[in-house]
Amino acid sequence: MQVTVRNRPAFANIHVKMAPGDVILGEADAMASMSPTVQIHARFNGGFFSALAKRYFGGESMFINEFVALDEGEIVFTQPLPGDIECIELKGTSLFLQPGAFIACEPTVHLGVGWAGFSSWIGREGLFRLKVSGQGRVWFGAYGGIFVREIEDEYVVDTGHLVAYEPTIHIKVGMAGGIFSSFFSGEGLVTRVYGPGRIYLQSRSLSGLAAWTDSFLFMH
Amino acid sequence: MNSSFFTGGVFSKQLEDGRESAQIFFSPEAIIARTQGGKTFTLRYDECDLEMGGASGRMVFCRNPDRSLTIFCEDRRFLRALAEEGGEELAAICRALLRRHHLRRFHHLSILLVCVVALIVALVIGYYGIMAGARAVVHKLPMSVDEKIGAAAIQSMDLMGEPVDDAVVTDTIQQIVDRLAPHSAVPNVRYRVQVVHAPFVNAFALPGGNIVVYTGLIEQAKSPEQLAGILAHEMSHVTMRHGMERIAQSMGVTIATEIVFGDTGGLVALGGEVLKTTTVNAYSRNQEAEADAEGVRMLHAAGIDPMGLVEFFCRLKEQQGDLPSSLTWISTHPNHEARIAAIRQQLARLPKTDYRPLDLDWNAVVERVRRLPPPKAIGHFR
Repeated sequence: MQVTVRNRPAFANIHVKMAPGDVILGEADAMASMSPTVQIHARFNGGFFSALAKRYFGGESMFINEFVALDEGEIVFTQPLPGDIECIELKGTSLFLQPGAFIACEPTVHLGVGWAGFSSWIGREGLFRLKVSGQGRVWFGAYGGIFVREIEDEYVVDTGHLVAYEPTIHIKVGMAGGIFSSFFSGEGLVTRVYGPGRIYLQSRSLSGLAAWTDSFLFMH
Repeated sequence: MNSSFFTGGVFSKQLEDGRESAQIFFSPEAIIARTQGGKTFTLRYDECDLEMGGASGRMVFCRNPDRSLTIFCEDRRFLRALAEEGGEELAAICRALLRRHHLRRFHHLSILLVCVVALIVALVIGYYGIMAGARAVVHKLPMSVDEKIGAAAIQSMDLMGEPVDDAVVTDTIQQIVDRLAPHSAVPNVRYRVQVVHAPFVNAFALPGGNIVVYTGLIEQAKSPEQLAGILAHEMSHVTMRHGMERIAQSMGVTIATEIVFGDTGGLVALGGEVLKTTTVNAYSRNQEAEADAEGVRMLHAAGIDPMGLVEFFCRLKEQQGDLPSSLTWISTHPNHEARIAAIRQQLARLPKTDYRPLDLDWNAVVERVRRLPPPKAIGHFR
């Protein structure tokens, strides 16, 4: 199975070239196009209760699509937001994804939902997070570009920009500065991440766009 | 020696990606991590610097002095196993870390508990605030508001039967109302009784003084005192403005639900509706008890024997039985047994008086009602 991410970074999509017998899992509604040689099977994303948890707490669909190539063929996966797509390969390691980021993975990857804590919720990063673990490649998307930071000690991220992080990362939400600076700098709350570990950030924030759009709706 | 293997990982610049998952075990001198790629890393116990953190807060990081090597593991048993293997000094650090972790967890749970309790308290205070606030607002309004709302309501209502205009029936009932009216708590209320031909053993009052009595109820009453008891109860709903209270409370709960949940759609709307029905109905049960008490006071003041009301409840009890006590809460009326007991208690406290019988030809009224076309359904007194 050959996978390439095309049209990066603004309108990235995943192009999968499949050989007979190849299998890939895709988030419901992520498929943009596919060959007729590829068969699609919708199934619960884990067991029924696990799927329910992923739907309501992980921001993902209750169903996941399994694409099986009966002969040579291709699939194109995309995401609803304009932005980049990143691929990581799990080798017995894990990664936490923010709600809605997951797009596709190899069938050897395990998908689970974990409690993210109130600090994550306050930081607009979601009360729950999707945990991908096991072996194989995972593709996830973001709004805008994706950049990676290797964290040794501490790093500050504006809320809503964190897309994915390794389980060795500890997250705290706090004010950007003092009370005055936090409220009048426009930064308000920020997420403080503590290493060691790697974090994936998106260059745009969807809530930022929503607030900006909202201001025009209010004016008119 | 602890022979267990733990699943974890290693951070090191010697690894291609800087990290790799690893199997971790203990030797007598060191922590050993063997990566998936086959590389082995050793960290001596006497050089090991311990920390706890990570996304879950219970990830254990074991670092060498220059921090070029970090072995990490999230397994709950890892720290205890390390304490057993790593000597006294490391064991003390492990215990301190565990203690700190438990304290932090306790702290977080305490905050969660406080938040839940605060939310429940806020909901309870909010609910009782709405109920009391709505009640207070209603009693500040002039009675003319009740009259307008009651008049509009009765015009738009389907009374489920034809009005009865037989003067024998309507005049008799109006005479009972006229005898009770001077003793109502609010003066100058214009009570207008409408008799409706339907089989329901029921009567109800609307704000402002409109009272509807069904012929099914008249047939069930064995004496004018029994009907007087029910009319006094309904007139008390009017003077105590129970209908207006229910409207205001229902509106208050709706507004509060919309403020809390925003645009109430789907399940939230259904939940709000259930909340509204159960809470407002439960309150209505209190109103029924209040109307019973006020009705008895009016009957006593008017010189009509309040035992008529007790007798009527006894008849209903014989015919319908009592609700099981577990269902009393969901009923809009307290069960008959409880109502009879409450009225008897109130009567025992009232000063002795000679009641004057209602000088009315009750048999003639019942006979006129029975001559009407037979009713088609059954119901009960509300």
